[in-house]
Amino acid sequence: MSKSKASSLNEWVEFYTADLYSWAHYKVSDAELAKDLVQDTFLAATEKYEGFKADSSPKTWLISILNHKIIDYYRKKVRQPVAKEIESFSRFFEAGGDWLETQKPQNWQIDEKEEHLLDDNNFQQVLKECLDALPEKWSTCVKLKYLGEKNGEQICQELDITPSNFWQIVHRSKMQLRDCVETNWFNN
Amino acid sequence: MHTLFLSCLKATELIEKKFHFRLTFREKLQLKLHKMMCDACSMYEKQSAIIEKGMESQHKHQHEECDIEELKKQISSNLAESQN
Repeated sequence: MSKSKASSLNEWVEFYTADLYSWAHYKVSDAELAKDLVQDTFLAATEKYEGFKADSSPKTWLISILNHKIIDYYRKKVRQPVAKEIESFSRFFEAGGDWLETQKPQNWQIDEKEEHLLDDNNFQQVLKECLDALPEKWSTCVKLKYLGEKNGEQICQELDITPSNFWQIVHRSKMQLRDCVETNWFNN
Repeated sequence: MHTLFLSCLKATELIEKKFHFRLTFREKLQLKLHKMMCDACSMYEKQSAIIEKGMESQHKHQHEECDIEELKKQISSNLAESQN
């Protein structure tokens, strides 16, 4: 490695690691994963160093590499196959599409208390555990909307899946999330 | 489909679709009619909206600690290693 390349990379690590990390963490909401993505970004930057134009900002360049890493990560997640039986809705609905009697949403009785509910740390904890219990492919689809403030079309484009595929995954995930929250919070 | 009536499976699908995409006029009408007759799906819609809001606030409130200095050291040593 030439001296200038090594020293500018070391400088970038010093200057930009914190910003890259908080961006990655914001996008993936997982500390360990965010660290890995930032490391990968610097490794890629070493390899692609010759492609960096000195007149552009190193931070912008590094962020664009990081963004590619983040999208790659999500694409891989979504392509992982999910077992057919988990995809099925028969846990919730009869063959004709009516709710199974035992699976009908119950009244949560929270009409005036919605704000309090969302501020309740214990409720947030239950919700987090329910999210973590989803297959990764599903939770990716469910969470992505809040990670980049994107609309459905943009998410589908990034993940390279069709809109109907996307909202069916979201639909199936939501069924499970709602059921999980009801069981572990409201019936507890 | 020749009918305006939806199954609960289809109605909940449209409820979820609505969070991300625009419904067509027909879909809006179908969903409205269904909810007029179906308490379970009306309840589902409210609860699903609460979960959406919960996920939104969850994301905002998340602050996991990370030792940035430690991370810098780790990256620098990785970079040095990758050159050897």
